[in-house]
Amino acid sequence: MSISLALFSPPTQPPLLFPSSPSTKPHLTLKPHLSLRPSKFLTTTKASAENGAGTSPTAATALEIQPDQKVAETPQQVVKKDESSVGVNGSAGAVETEEDKVLSQFVDPKWVVGTWDLSQFQKDGSTDWDAVIDAEARRRKWLEGNPETSSNDAPIVFDTSIIPWWAWIKRFHLPEAELLNGRAAMIGFFMAYLVDSLTGVGLVDQMGNFFCKTLLFVAVVGVLLIRKNEDLENLKKLLDETTFYDKQWQATWQDEKPGSSKN
Amino acid sequence: MASIALKSFVGLRQQVSTEKSHYFFTSQSQTKPPRKLKLQVLASKSSPRLTNRNLRVAVIGGGPAGGAAAETLAKGGIETYLIERKMDNCKPCGGAIPLCMVGEFDLPLDIIDRRVTKMKMISPSNVAVDIGQTLKPHEYIGMVRREVLDAYLRERAKDNGAEVINGLFLKMDVPKDGVSPYVLHYNGFDGKVGGVGEKRTLEVDAVIGADGANSRVAKAIDAGDYDYAIAFQERIKIPDDKMAYYEDLAEMYVGDDVSPDFYGWVFPKCDHVAVGTGTVTHKGDIKKFQLATRKRAKDKILGGKIIRVEAHPIPEHPRPRRLLGRVALVGDAAGYVTKCSGEGIYFAAKSGRMCAEAIVEGSENGKRMVDERDLRKYLEKWDKTYWPTYKVLDVLQKVFYRSNPAREAFVEMCADEYVQKMTFDSYLYKTVAPGNPLQDLKLAVNTIGSLVRANALKKEMDKLSV
Ligand SMILES: Cc1cc2nc3c(=O)[nH]c(=O)nc-3n(C[C@H](O)[C@H](O)[C@H](O)COP(=O)(O)OP(=O)(O)OC[C@H]3O[C@@H](n4cnc5c(N)ncnc54)[C@H](O)[C@@H]3O)c2cc1C
Repeated sequence: MSISLALFSPPTQPPLLFPSSPSTKPHLTLKPHLSLRPSKFLTTTKASAENGAGTSPTAATALEIQPDQKVAETPQQVVKKDESSVGVNGSAGAVETEEDKVLSQFVDPKWVVGTWDLSQFQKDGSTDWDAVIDAEARRRKWLEGNPETSSNDAPIVFDTSIIPWWAWIKRFHLPEAELLNGRAAMIGFFMAYLVDSLTGVGLVDQMGNFFCKTLLFVAVVGVLLIRKNEDLENLKKLLDETTFYDKQWQATWQDEKPGSSKN
Repeated sequence: MASIALKSFVGLRQQVSTEKSHYFFTSQSQTKPPRKLKLQVLASKSSPRLTNRNLRVAVIGGGPAGGAAAETLAKGGIETYLIERKMDNCKPCGGAIPLCMVGEFDLPLDIIDRRVTKMKMISPSNVAVDIGQTLKPHEYIGMVRREVLDAYLRERAKDNGAEVINGLFLKMDVPKDGVSPYVLHYNGFDGKVGGVGEKRTLEVDAVIGADGANSRVAKAIDAGDYDYAIAFQERIKIPDDKMAYYEDLAEMYVGDDVSPDFYGWVFPKCDHVAVGTGTVTHKGDIKKFQLATRKRAKDKILGGKIIRVEAHPIPEHPRPRRLLGRVALVGDAAGYVTKCSGEGIYFAAKSGRMCAEAIVEGSENGKRMVDERDLRKYLEKWDKTYWPTYKVLDVLQKVFYRSNPAREAFVEMCADEYVQKMTFDSYLYKTVAPGNPLQDLKLAVNTIGSLVRANALKKEMDKLSV
């Protein structure tokens, strides 16, 4: 615990993306992806789910939009355009704006033609992968603050998979935990797969397609990892949000009048 | 009971009817005689026959949903009215359609401006992956201009006997019983531009609401709201040499900078590109995201002039009610846009057609009155066919669009040929051959690997900011 806290600095990112509190095993978990943005999204959606016809502020505005189809979300005047007209504020203009002109580009002597020049990362005759990881983390961090134009002349060719797996493991002192996690996930996936093909029922069978497998897979991984971190709060939110989507689809069946359904 | 076999369908509806497993109307089979025989067995026996006239149905809205619905109705012997407020409406839209739409809706090739065969996914750290490598020579994503597509579909409905009315639908009077007509109130324009038009009414037996995201038909049946994304798009005319790059290529940008929960795009149009982005959660920042999208594409659109700016809501999920009495919603009015890809044209046209088919079927080609049961068949079929697709895309979006490490992993994943093939198959054809278990497993392992790596880097990044 103490180690992880030391490693884990207070989140400087906007809290939306990584809402989870530091957990005992912060390294290499998948949790942040699966956890939800805590505030806005959920609350609005919930409101409209429970009250049926739009008490949710966002949704309500959507319907009040009147014949000329103004997109009337509050603060952004820019968006208030007749859908069929040319843009309201000034409309035609050059793509470049003042701030675009300040060209920012990530520069590092070890970053050569779109990748980390591994020859500059040699230490005692072998590549110092730790340093590569550090360097790439720094580059990504920098890019978050200074998004950069993508370019065909200078494509990014660096691929994190060139860093061998043991380098990650070593780096994040993961004796068994993460291995276990990975294994559990795989077993889960396999089991779901097996059950599915044996019984011949279930979602995968329904569609028999790749996406459903992905779905299953993601669900299994998510559940395993989240449980591992005892992050039940997040799990609950995830479930809430997921069921919310389902509810929207089912809602229309609920007001089916008794007896009005055929047979 | 057949319901046992169907129970696996994850309960959009507990009670599954026997007929559900065989639908008699598919787009192609409409006129095959043996099927018609069965139709009669299915029609609501309770509903009265119409005398001296055929069933009258109004379709509100002449987008892809309305156009497709009106055509099918007219072909099926229904007295059809299509009300569109603006005949040259140019709906803000990326205009990408899947290949199967061209075939299923028999679209002439000349309305397709461009055939995109290369789709670039670009990660937050600007790793670009072309996900079109597995496309076969005849496969492509079609790019259309909406004013062209919509007008074409409406024209075809007209040729098949639908009456196309230029008018703004205002409201309708809902009858108390099951046989009296709905009275629609609208302002007729008769092709005149400007002016408020002339107040008119129209009596019909059923209504299809295809009037888009801000549907008035939905309001009229108290259909409830949905969450929506706001999508912003700029049409940019770029120099010819830059345009050459976008000849048959589209780009998707992901990252916190371009959208917290969707993607930014550059789609090629006839003689310009459409650059846009969307978001549900941070609508107030849309302008900022648009700027970021432009910035990320800057190298490739440098020197461009913005010729048009547009914005429009995109529904996130269906409305709580999609049907009431003899009124049904289709397309954006119902809320049929997929997550992840934001695709709605095909689904709009498809739902319009499916709903119309249910009416044609239920009315025995316009000879009987219809009721809610007939219309519900459309909903049943729709949910059964497409719900899993929507669901999966919803989950994928939740997992892969929500944070930069996830997006990096997503793009890495897309470099995999197997993923590309599966993705494109399901996008282009809306059906997929079963995957290969071994490949699936490999994919699973690789995905975990990508996620783990991207996430580990994220942890490092967090440490850096101390
Ligand atoms: C920026 C943006 C980009 C998009 N990109 C893509 C894409 O690349 N691919 C894709 O598949 N989907 C895309 N979509 C989604 C797609 O545009 C919609 O899902 C699709 O247009 C839905 O079709 P529809 O027929 O249901 O509604 P609409 O296309 O909205 O048509 C509704 C019609 O009804 C008319 N109407 C409305 N109210 C009235 C009234 N009261 N009286 C009379 N007529 C009325 C309107 O004039 C309009 O013609 C995009 C959406 C946006 C906003």
